[in-house]
Amino acid sequence: MSKPLFELSHLSVAFSGRTVVHDVSLVLGRGEALGVVGESGCGKSVTFLASLGLLPAKARAAGLARLDGDDILNVPAAKLESIRGRRVAMIFQDPSSSLNPVLRIGHQIGEALGLHRGLTGAAARAEARRLLDDVGIPDAANRLNAYPHELSGGQNQRVMIAMALAGEPDMLIADEPTTALDATVQAQILGLIDAIRRDRGMALVLISHDLGAIASVCERVAVMYAGAIVEASGIDAIFDRPQHPYTRGLLAALPELDGPRRRLTPIPGSVPEPWNLPAGCAFAPRCDVASALCRQQRPALSLIGPLDGLVACHHPSDVMDCAERIVA
Amino acid sequence: MSEPGSTTAPLLEVAGVRRRYFAQGGFLSAPKPVDAVVDVSFHVARGETLGVVGESGCGKSTTGRLALGLEQPDGGTVRFDGAALPPAGTAAWRAIRARMQLVFQDPLAALDRRLPVAAQIRESLDVHAIGDGASREARVAELLSAVGLTSDHAGRYPHELSGGQRQRVVIARALATGPELLVCDEPVAALDVSIQAQVVNLLMDIQANLGLAMIFISHDLKVVRQISHRVVVMYLGTVVEEADADRIFSAPQHPYTRALVASSPSPRRKSRPALMIAGEPPDPSARPSGCAFHPRCPGAQALCRTQAPMPRLVGQGHRVACHLVEPWNDAGAAA
Repeated sequence: MSKPLFELSHLSVAFSGRTVVHDVSLVLGRGEALGVVGESGCGKSVTFLASLGLLPAKARAAGLARLDGDDILNVPAAKLESIRGRRVAMIFQDPSSSLNPVLRIGHQIGEALGLHRGLTGAAARAEARRLLDDVGIPDAANRLNAYPHELSGGQNQRVMIAMALAGEPDMLIADEPTTALDATVQAQILGLIDAIRRDRGMALVLISHDLGAIASVCERVAVMYAGAIVEASGIDAIFDRPQHPYTRGLLAALPELDGPRRRLTPIPGSVPEPWNLPAGCAFAPRCDVASALCRQQRPALSLIGPLDGLVACHHPSDVMDCAERIVA
Repeated sequence: MSEPGSTTAPLLEVAGVRRRYFAQGGFLSAPKPVDAVVDVSFHVARGETLGVVGESGCGKSTTGRLALGLEQPDGGTVRFDGAALPPAGTAAWRAIRARMQLVFQDPLAALDRRLPVAAQIRESLDVHAIGDGASREARVAELLSAVGLTSDHAGRYPHELSGGQRQRVVIARALATGPELLVCDEPVAALDVSIQAQVVNLLMDIQANLGLAMIFISHDLKVVRQISHRVVVMYLGTVVEEADADRIFSAPQHPYTRALVASSPSPRRKSRPALMIAGEPPDPSARPSGCAFHPRCPGAQALCRTQAPMPRLVGQGHRVACHLVEPWNDAGAAA
C-alpha cells in the first residue's frame, strides 16, 4: 500500500475525564472498504466522530488522525469545514433525523452541492437529479420536490447517500446505515453502497454490529471491544480463523440460517462500563483462556504470524494451536 | 430439539382473523382504514415453538396481540385449549390470561422503574392469587434462579440491571403464573449479539423444561430458525408461507421468503449483497390488489394482480400462498 488515505494513530477519546476509546490505530488505503464491528458502547462510532471533530466540547481526543498525511484532529474549525462533507462524508443510522423535515429533498442536496462544489441554480438542480438517479430513486426529477416525510426510510437513506456523494468525497463513513431498515431494504442499501464504492473508487468505513453486513461489503475488518481494537484482519481470515477470544465468541454466539442447528455459545457476563474497566485485558473476566498475565497486563495490538492480521491478545488461537501441538 | 406432540388438539388455534385500525389522516381528512391483519390462520401445539417472521407493518405484532385476546379480531376466531377466548376484561378472560403471557422487546418499558424486580415478579402472583405469602416468596426465588438470576438481583431496581438481566426479569415475571403459552414479541432485538445468545438459550431451555408452547415473533430469520419448530412468514397482514423451521429457510418456496433468505447476510456465506427484489414493503393502508406481494414479485403474472392466492400444500406441513408454486399432489415430489 502506498501512502494511506486515512490513518488513525494512537487515538484516545475521553468524556469528562473518562477514557472511552483507548489507543486506536488503523490505516485505510484509497478505495478500500473497512468494516468496524463491535457491540454497543465499544467505541466504534465515537472513534470516527472524534476523528472528524464531531463530538461535543466535553470530549477530548488525543493522538493523530491523518487524511492524505495531513493532521485533521488538531486543526482549526475552518480547516475542518473544508474536509468534512467535501473529502470525507458520513451517513448515520436514522436518515429522517439527519434530514430537515421542512425543506424539499432537492433543496437539501442543492445546499450540499453549493457548499462543496459551488454549484447553484439550474446546474445544482441538474446535478442533484443525477445524484438521485445514481442512488436508485425512481422518477428523480419529481422526487427533488418531495419532503423527507413523503419518502420511505429506505429512500431517505438513499437521499442521505446522494448528499454524501455531493462533495465527491474520497471516503465515506457509514455508521449503522441499514440498522433501522427492513431486511429486503437493508440488502438493497448495502448493495448500493458497495456499487458506489466500486464505481467511484471511494474508500468506505462501515460501522456495524452486524458481522453479516460487514462480510458482504468489506475487505478488511476491525473488531472493537471496550474502546479498543482487539483484532484486525482480512475478511476471510477473521471469519475462518478468528484469533481473539472475543471475535471467536461473537461468531459462536450467532445463529445460522443454514446447516445443522447447534446450541449457541454465549459470551458469559457483560461488557464492562467504560469507567469500570478491569486491569489488564478488558476482556479477561469474560474470557475462557485468560491467565494471570491477562489480568495484569493489557495486551498490545501486534502482528499475527503469516496471516497479516493484528490481534491484541496474550493467547491468540494460532499460538494456542501450536502450543497444543508441541505438547501433543 | 424435542418433537412437539402433534396427536393432541392444538393449544392455540387462530382461524381467519382480521384486524383493521383507523389511522388519523391529515387535518380535515377522514380516518384511513389500515388492515393490519387481513387473514391469518395458524395453530400452536402444546410444547411447540412457532416462529412468526416478517418486516415492519406485516402485522406480526398485531397477530400476537390477537392470539392473547389483547385485541379483538374484526373477524375469525381464536381458540385456546379448545374453547373460544372470552371477551377481554371479563373474569373468564383474566383466568385464561394467567395461562398465556407476553414478553416484549423493551424490558425497561415493561418494568416499573420504582419497584425492585422481585416485587414486580411477586405482583403477578398477588394479582392472580397464587399461593400464600410464604410460598410466593419461595416462588419468586425459584423463578429468579430459573432465569439465571440470583437473590443478589432480587432487591435491585430495573436501572441497576443490564439489558439482558432486565429481559430475564421480564421472562421470570411471565413465567410466574405457570403459563402454557408464551408470546415473545422481538424479545432479543434490543440486545447485543453476545447477550442475545444468552436469552435465546434461556428461552429454549425454559420451553423444553416446562413444555411451554411459544409464539416467537421476530424480524431476525436466524434467531427464529434457531428457536422455532415451525415458522410462518407474514407479508402485509397475511401468512405467505408456513413450514418446518429448517425446511422453510433451506427450501423457501414463496418469492418473498426467498427474498428474505437472500437478504439475510451471514459472515459464513461470503457473497455480495443479493438484489433479489426491488421496492419496499408498501404502506398497509395502500394494500395492492390480488396478491399483496405482486408489485415486488419478479415472477408476477396477470392472475397475481387480480386474485389473492389461497395457501396450498406443497409438502408435508408446508403451505405456500402463491399462484406460481405447484401444489404438492400435482408435482408429486415437492420435497
